[in-house]
Amino acid sequence: MRDADPIDAAREDGRTTLTEAEGKRLLAEAGVETPRFEVCPDATAAVDAAETLGYPVVVKVSSPAVTHKSEWADGAGVAIGLDSADAVREAAEAILAAAAESGIDADVLVEEAMDVNAGTEVIVGGLRDPSFGPVVLTGLGGVFTEVFEDTSHRIAPVSHREARSAIEELQAATLLRGYRGSDPADVDAVAAVVKAVGDFVTDYPIAELDVNPVLASADGAVALDALVVLEAE
Amino acid sequence: MFDPSGIAVVGASASEGKIGYEAMANAAAFDGPVYPVNPSGSGTLFGEPFVESVSDIGGDVDLALCCVPGPALPDVLEECGEAGIGAAVVYASGFAEAGDEGERLQARVVDVADEHDVSLLGPNTSGFVVPERDLRCSFASGVEKIPAGNTAVVAQSGGVAHVLAFQSRRQGRGVSAMVGLGNRANVGFTEAIDYFDGDERTDAIVLHVEGTDDGRGLLEACRESDTPVVAYKVGQSDVGEFAESHTGALTGDHELYTAGFAQYGVPTVDATDDLLDAAAALGNSPEPAGPNVGVVTAQAGPGIIVTDRIQRAGGRLPELGAETRARIDDVLPGVTYTGNPVDTGRPMPEFGELVTAVAEDDAVDIVLVYELFEEALGFPVASLSGLAERVGKPVLFATEGVEEEMAEEKAALAEAGVPTFETPERAADAAGVLARYAELSARVAAEEVSRDA
Repeated sequence: MRDADPIDAAREDGRTTLTEAEGKRLLAEAGVETPRFEVCPDATAAVDAAETLGYPVVVKVSSPAVTHKSEWADGAGVAIGLDSADAVREAAEAILAAAAESGIDADVLVEEAMDVNAGTEVIVGGLRDPSFGPVVLTGLGGVFTEVFEDTSHRIAPVSHREARSAIEELQAATLLRGYRGSDPADVDAVAAVVKAVGDFVTDYPIAELDVNPVLASADGAVALDALVVLEAE
Repeated sequence: MFDPSGIAVVGASASEGKIGYEAMANAAAFDGPVYPVNPSGSGTLFGEPFVESVSDIGGDVDLALCCVPGPALPDVLEECGEAGIGAAVVYASGFAEAGDEGERLQARVVDVADEHDVSLLGPNTSGFVVPERDLRCSFASGVEKIPAGNTAVVAQSGGVAHVLAFQSRRQGRGVSAMVGLGNRANVGFTEAIDYFDGDERTDAIVLHVEGTDDGRGLLEACRESDTPVVAYKVGQSDVGEFAESHTGALTGDHELYTAGFAQYGVPTVDATDDLLDAAAALGNSPEPAGPNVGVVTAQAGPGIIVTDRIQRAGGRLPELGAETRARIDDVLPGVTYTGNPVDTGRPMPEFGELVTAVAEDDAVDIVLVYELFEEALGFPVASLSGLAERVGKPVLFATEGVEEEMAEEKAALAEAGVPTFETPERAADAAGVLARYAELSARVAAEEVSRDA
């Protein structure tokens, strides 16, 4: 049995949205690879975390009140490619100041930076549909998700085979197979994420779930972000 | 419901034009007893004496056609239940489709029906028809002209059920049954699919779906069915407005139906006539083993349309085997094109032999024949007759010509069980459905193996 503590914690607080860190812990327990990260209460802790993780790092706002981090506080919610203690301190302070200004509780998430150019960004999502129950979505991820709407759906849970077929019917499958000399991505690793997300919405009281992006490369599939919305109790 | 021994028409009326009259007029043809029920009726209606209530019926009765307004229904159903009538068709509207009050009325009706173990078709439906038994539980006119066939039409809308049934008549095909589900109070897609899968008159089931609150149940019933099911899902909008996530914003009803049907082995189409063509192909053929279509055409142009379209419709055009090509060359030295399609350039006496050669090729899973009608030659009925069964592959036939001149030969093909199609496009699309059906069945079977492993 997987540890469902983040869900219990959210329920206890009367929240339906998990923080990114909580979502990623759940995914990690389901076997989905995530970047290493730490959640820090202040700028000093953030710098310590960055030193431990090694530069460059990404710093993000961590709060149940913020679901779309990159649009939050005029872009202060996400700072990427930080390669010094000063840069980390500055980004963390900006987040905490913006949080204080808008009156929300927030921490700072410090995470090892991944090179998004080293792979293809994929979205894997899940939701509980009123008519079909748990379903899983696969699509081209990142900033182009809603531009191209290149997605496929499956009724969950899914086998590894169905998960693979969901990926292969995307237009973006061409990118994953490797193009212009790039290495083919590890489609089986992406399929494993699709299967895990399908199991996840089946087993837990989850209304909606985005893992966007999943960075798919020859080295595997890494969940760079996670949004989990629980069903209302 | 669909196989009654006696029928009560509750609310039967002697006034022409009323539902209670039309329903009685249609039901009266049934070969079992039909009782007009109305406390204020007197004398006879279509030769049957009025009875005051369903509890006064002396003989066999297990189906009630309820031609009464909605508010009277709970009492009527209670009486039916007490009289041991296990099935009822409810024509009235003004239920769940008509706001809160209607929804409450429907809930009451369902409660009464469940309590007395009565299956309900409707409310808000025009009913059902089983042509072979002259069982016409619809109030619409003309249903007596719907011919018997082997396709079960299961439509969410009573109107669409009739559209399909009359189309099927015009195509010279017919239906094993035509059912309008309406509001699906307690008989829905799941129950109907289940029933017609076990119905010996039915070889294919077609679904018209607008939307249901138990999509997963519908898919599971389709997967359970040994009888092929084809679906037409109407409506492409309806994205969840609740969405907080990208996933929510990118997941509409239509995507889930389309993906779900495929995942559960059901080919989908996008038009009513495609639905009936698909059923004709699937219901009159051995199960296709794969998506490879062998095309034989007597004219290049239509053949090009067919081959171009088959590939877009989901079929593949394999290379014919060397042996087949040699056979073709033997029969007809210098034939226009011996690849796939095989094109003879014009109808000729040897056409049937070429069709046989292609059908016997191991690379071919499905055969499609196109030939303009040539009066002096007719169709290759002798070659096509029994061919599909013998090679264990679907053999589809499409033609064009003067209707009256072809009528006799077309009837001979129908007699021989060869499914025929009206245009090159529709024949190609039907072959595409067979190809997709083969691939989806294989996908479902592979899933079952991995589930059981």
